[in-house]
Amino acid sequence: MTSAVPPPVRSEVLLLFRSLLRTSREFADYNIREYTKRRTIDAFRQNRDLSDPSAVVAAFSDGKSQLEVARRQVIVHSLYAPKVKSVMEIKH
Amino acid sequence: MASALRAALLGHIRVPIAQNLTLNGSKLSLFSAVRSMSSHGDDHLTREEVIDRVLDVVKSFPKVDPSKVSPDVHFQNDLGLDSLDNVEIVFALEEEFKLEIPDKEADKIDSCPLAIEYIYNHPMAG
Repeated sequence: MTSAVPPPVRSEVLLLFRSLLRTSREFADYNIREYTKRRTIDAFRQNRDLSDPSAVVAAFSDGKSQLEVARRQVIVHSLYAPKVKSVMEIKH
Repeated sequence: MASALRAALLGHIRVPIAQNLTLNGSKLSLFSAVRSMSSHGDDHLTREEVIDRVLDVVKSFPKVDPSKVSPDVHFQNDLGLDSLDNVEIVFALEEEFKLEIPDKEADKIDSCPLAIEYIYNHPMAG
């Protein structure tokens, strides 16, 4: 068991939330962008009322690793960006 | 051959500054004083536009009751949202007005009047 890590402060959680949303915006592909945004919002909302400090710490570190994954994926996906825009992005 | 001719000509022409100036992303020739490609005059949004678009964004937020939305509501106090919703709304406003709001400022925006003020005063709001 690890020694007690202090649970994240509200501002840290909100900062992680905002960082994930901002990172999602960098995806060129509409589908991945919307998925990342939706998943972030759903996950944070689901974990909103966690009371157990160790669960909070676990969720926060999970969120941070997901942020790293997203950041790497932005770069990888930009190497193979789709040439055709999704129909949802075409303004009518 | 044309490039050699051009090079020879350019060698003769004395231009004090480089031929292509890039100002505001549009190329101006040295002697053109008219900013033909800039849209400075009509660029900035009117306050009504800002208010309308901000209210639209807030009203279309799924958790918000549109009838309660007015230009002076507080997101958490009046609309019953929480801090996560606050971040979401500010993010949606960033998308609507094509802005990048720094975290420090974004943390302070927690009501319609603050959002309207910030966006109205932002030079890049589009």
